[in-house]
Amino acid sequence: MALSLSGESIAFFVLSMMAIGGGIMMINSTRVVHMVLALAFSLLSIAGIYVLLHAEFLAVVQVLIYTGAISILMLFGIMLTKHKVDEEDGWSGRLGHSLLSFLGVGALFAIVMGVIYRTPFAGKVAATKSFTVEALGKSVFKQYVIPFELTSILLLVALVGAVILAKKEADS
Amino acid sequence: MNTLIDYDWTVMAPELTIVVMAAFLSVIDLFLHPNKDRRLFMWPTLIGIVGAMCFVGMSWGKPAYQILADTYRVDDFALAFKMIMLIGTAFITVMSYGAFRKEKGFAEGEYYYLLLTALLGGMVMASSGDLITLFVGLELLSISTYILVGIRKRSVMTNEAAWKNVVLGGVASGFILYGMSFLYGLTGSTNLFTVRDRLGEALTSGYDLYAWLALFLIVFGFGFKVAAAPFHMWVPDVYQGAPTPITAFLAAISKTAAIALILRMFLIGFIPLFQGGRGTVLDEKTGGRVLLILAGLSMIVGTVIALRQQDAKRLLSYSSIAQAGVILVPLASWGPFLFPSTLYYLTGYLFSTVGAFSVLMLIERESRDSHLSSFAGLSRRSPFTALAMTLFLLSLAGIPVTAGFFGKFYILANAVVTGSPEHWAMYLIAGIMLVTTVASYFYYFAIIRMMYFRASQVEEKLRIPVGAMIVISVAAVATLGLGLMPQLVVDILGNVDWGASLAPVK
Repeated sequence: MALSLSGESIAFFVLSMMAIGGGIMMINSTRVVHMVLALAFSLLSIAGIYVLLHAEFLAVVQVLIYTGAISILMLFGIMLTKHKVDEEDGWSGRLGHSLLSFLGVGALFAIVMGVIYRTPFAGKVAATKSFTVEALGKSVFKQYVIPFELTSILLLVALVGAVILAKKEADS
Repeated sequence: MNTLIDYDWTVMAPELTIVVMAAFLSVIDLFLHPNKDRRLFMWPTLIGIVGAMCFVGMSWGKPAYQILADTYRVDDFALAFKMIMLIGTAFITVMSYGAFRKEKGFAEGEYYYLLLTALLGGMVMASSGDLITLFVGLELLSISTYILVGIRKRSVMTNEAAWKNVVLGGVASGFILYGMSFLYGLTGSTNLFTVRDRLGEALTSGYDLYAWLALFLIVFGFGFKVAAAPFHMWVPDVYQGAPTPITAFLAAISKTAAIALILRMFLIGFIPLFQGGRGTVLDEKTGGRVLLILAGLSMIVGTVIALRQQDAKRLLSYSSIAQAGVILVPLASWGPFLFPSTLYYLTGYLFSTVGAFSVLMLIERESRDSHLSSFAGLSRRSPFTALAMTLFLLSLAGIPVTAGFFGKFYILANAVVTGSPEHWAMYLIAGIMLVTTVASYFYYFAIIRMMYFRASQVEEKLRIPVGAMIVISVAAVATLGLGLMPQLVVDILGNVDWGASLAPVK
């Protein structure tokens, strides 16, 4: 596969490096605030990739919800809770464990990449013009209305769970 | 395309009953004074479950029906699984009655309606032919159980269990979703029947490895959910740390729901991979072999480690890993009785497991730990409980005149008579099953020996609450009844046209 150096591929390259870099930064930083910022950075880069794929609506939603709402929520969470920053050296695992996890992740990566490279993808580009917000809304509220409604119950359950697990007992 | 009103929504009655009852309980919980005793929430929960059971029973035997491109479908396969889950949750509701009375700050109101939402997730998993609904159902079940496992938040062990459950359960869901995304990318549809048709085409045009990758990723995640080796590491800690009724829920109902999910996905969506035969890198036997390895390994690992356990709760957790292996044998070996043998075994397993855990709950409450020695002298302290526990353990071990014996026999017969070309593998898995069954006698009998031949430190009678008493008696009668008269259930399961559950609704 010859890599044509168009503006689009350069943009894709930069954005994906930013997304992966943000992920790595998030894992490696020791301060919670840095983690949140790295995560927001990574999610913003993914929004850029969506734009490249002509999924503008998804990109806007990504910025609005993930980069905006979720990051702000996390920052509020950090602000409102006690967060004694662990400045100690975070790396306390045994060498054997990290070696094993590295091997496992490496094997998974090798297998997935191997499979992707062996698969002959057809060169056709899907007609992304027909994937409008209107079509999205129709499929969510018509065909997929049952899972959609179930998701609302799911969110309610998650909320209830967060409240009962996190609240301090007022009993005496 | 049909609009929403064109469908007959009454087929969703069981799910709607559960949703309405859960909503009702959450509102009541909100308005009830915080210091009020919420034990009585057991009744509405039970009424909801029994109502749903009636609806399930009423639609049994009717032709399959689907709503909105199979995002919800009701067929006898779904109804059978739903019935097992409803019975199991009804048991767990009743045994929870008053079980948490002495615990300060225990969210008992939430406990009951989270049980209902977990059940709802399981029911949705059983009755869907669409990847999205299957996954949402799985998450609803998983998230509700994450909370239920950690609900006793003052105990360190519970916190550890909840933490492990969330992290590993999340990883497992991630793997399943990743596999599903490959499947969707390859076929462009989330409907399992469309996936099946397009996967057949894709296999012949060089995309076979892609499909296999999806299958392996889903098996990976599914292995976690069903607690099969080598994905079993989380099981003992989580089962031990969770409140005992929830442990029973995880062992019986979560497992049943996961089996329903995997049966649907493998026997509808992935079926081209099992037929295959087109000279690709992996041949059509691979899928069956993977499942056989999963089943065999679970039986061996679960049994071997259970032999060394000194804690009854951990022992039962390892035994449930071994049982997961047995339940996977019909799917791995196919054969003519795939559905009836799986469902029969799940039914028997449900009664024995729930019964055994409710006895364990009583012992645990009395002696504050679940060590094997806590069972000492139970036959003198409460002859009835000891007898019932013996029955449950015999059933789990697969000894005649119990449900477990006939279940194992059915699965074994199914594996041996299967028309699979790989006879040696079938005999091998049957051999592993027999050997691990015999080995399992040692640890099951360790508990029985404790109950009958060891003197107890305490001589006073064991106090048995009414709820636990009812659960233990009903489960004991069912375990014995299914063992003595298996034809009652086998006849029902045998007369079902299972093929209709795997075909699109006309």
